[in-house]
Amino acid sequence: MRSQENNDTAGASRTGSVGGERTRMINRNFFLHIHAPRVHVHSMKPAYSFGLGIILGFLFLILILTGVVLMIYYNPSVEQAYQSVKDIVYVVPGGRIIRNMHRWAAQGMVIVVFLHLVRVFYTGSYLGNRSLNWVIGVVLLIITLLSNFSGYLLPWDQLAYWAVTIGSNIAASARELTDLLGVTAAFDPGGFMKRLLIGGEAVGQPALSRFFALHVIFLPLSILVLTGVHLWRIRKDGGISRPAASATDRAGDQKWYAWPVLMWTELALLLGTVAVILCIALLADAPLLEQANPSYPENPAKSPWYFLGIQELVSYSAFSGGLLIPVLYLAFLFSIPYVDREDRHVGIWFSGQQGWKVAGIAAGGTLLLVLSQLFVMIRYGWLRDWLPGISQGFVMLLNPATLSAALFILASEMVRWRTSSTRMAALTLFTCTFVALLIFTAVGIWFRGPDWEFYWSPARWPVQ
Amino acid sequence: MKRRNFIQKAAGTLVMVTGAVAVVSYLRQFFPRRAGEKRRIALGDPRRFPVDTYTFLQDHNLYVYRDHEGIRAVSAVCTHLGCILERSTEGFTCPCHGSCYNDQGEVLSGPAPADLSWYEVNRSADGRIVVDPGRSVGADHKYLIS
Repeated sequence: MRSQENNDTAGASRTGSVGGERTRMINRNFFLHIHAPRVHVHSMKPAYSFGLGIILGFLFLILILTGVVLMIYYNPSVEQAYQSVKDIVYVVPGGRIIRNMHRWAAQGMVIVVFLHLVRVFYTGSYLGNRSLNWVIGVVLLIITLLSNFSGYLLPWDQLAYWAVTIGSNIAASARELTDLLGVTAAFDPGGFMKRLLIGGEAVGQPALSRFFALHVIFLPLSILVLTGVHLWRIRKDGGISRPAASATDRAGDQKWYAWPVLMWTELALLLGTVAVILCIALLADAPLLEQANPSYPENPAKSPWYFLGIQELVSYSAFSGGLLIPVLYLAFLFSIPYVDREDRHVGIWFSGQQGWKVAGIAAGGTLLLVLSQLFVMIRYGWLRDWLPGISQGFVMLLNPATLSAALFILASEMVRWRTSSTRMAALTLFTCTFVALLIFTAVGIWFRGPDWEFYWSPARWPVQ
Repeated sequence: MKRRNFIQKAAGTLVMVTGAVAVVSYLRQFFPRRAGEKRRIALGDPRRFPVDTYTFLQDHNLYVYRDHEGIRAVSAVCTHLGCILERSTEGFTCPCHGSCYNDQGEVLSGPAPADLSWYEVNRSADGRIVVDPGRSVGADHKYLIS
């Protein structure tokens, strides 16, 4: 395959040197085309990218391979699903390990995809011509979460059933707003979303079939295609981001041949990723509760841990916590590269000293703000406890989730005004929202017990 | 208009219309027909329910309350996110996000956006006592046991 996009290629193959040999290695192999023949030195610094993107690719590979095995034994019917998962765990040789690997690789993907988002944001890698790739990345983040969530229903145990019941009603929570306005009978986007998602009013066979189709075909295929575009954009945008100063260096001086050094590093990462997932799979079993019982929710009924931040918000108000805030957050993520165009910051962690300071203050402020609101809520209750019979509109619009969001937006506007820099404003808002997400998630995971009450530890939960 | 332009425009319009119809009919597949009316639930002999007690009908996610005069039925599904309510000293609590309702199904605390629905209890044409989840009534609606 002769590539015209890279001048190095043509030049190097003519010379027939060691470099030419290495370039030919890549040109001859379809799969090695993931890299340009020569890659900038800065891109290979481990502490710059941490290899997070490629680790995501490897985790996805593990998921595909283990997923195919699971799919052979799994039966997506309400009557059979639970039993078939039990068979995978207890009867199929090695089935337990395969299922564990699938579960932990999936959760690993959620963690790494967020770390990747954080890395790309704080190094300003959405700047310049990389805005489109940032958007594709955010879409991939959403699809990763959806893949996880759709897989969660398939075992058809208590965990699965109630997580998806709650999830599907969050999708329907626009009804809270339309009910308030009294237009639900004529205009019901909430009901529309819910029917689209689970094919009826309650979680049953149609929901299981839909989630199965999404989980095994539609979402993985979307990830595959979008990952292809994502990687292709990296090539087109001139490799992964780096500070502008080094881009002006004489081309070629600071480039290494991708084959073999980079490739070997990546192979090592693949082995490392597989080893870590395999070890976790050997040590920890993926949970499987009793078969789904539509009459008795688990108490507490917790969704998968990466959604517990949202579940905490939803416990204030279904509409604002489940729909309004997530939609605003995604709108913020999508809009970052189009609002902040200060390209000089590309490739520098936190854009230098000022950024570190801004992010630090934002993180500290958020910690203080969110924790104090939670303290008030847990200790003294909230609107409905103070003013019984208060209108639902107030409950919906005045809670720790919406108040925090409003204050974060205010703070980032203030930073923009003080520093006259959109990058600093973006740093503020991103840091505030991310720290808040971490706090709400931590509260949901560790400090919520039966009836979603606050407990310092599960050891203090009442005996039921 | 030249003949070539006309043919181009006509063909283009035709392709677009066909495409739109195809897309709409494809997307239509994702919405099943409505699964019929909500079915009425036969309660059986009202005397099987203990007096002055809320009895949970687990197959129907419904609480039935019987007193000396008659019988009432209230939804056991939380109006917040659809979990099934448990009885508490005040009335009902939701295990998922802690919404509390009183015995009348009115929201006391928590994120629930609306009160619980009470359903009509009646005698059907064939003489059975039935709950109709399709018909909401006031909390004081009661089917009198004669």
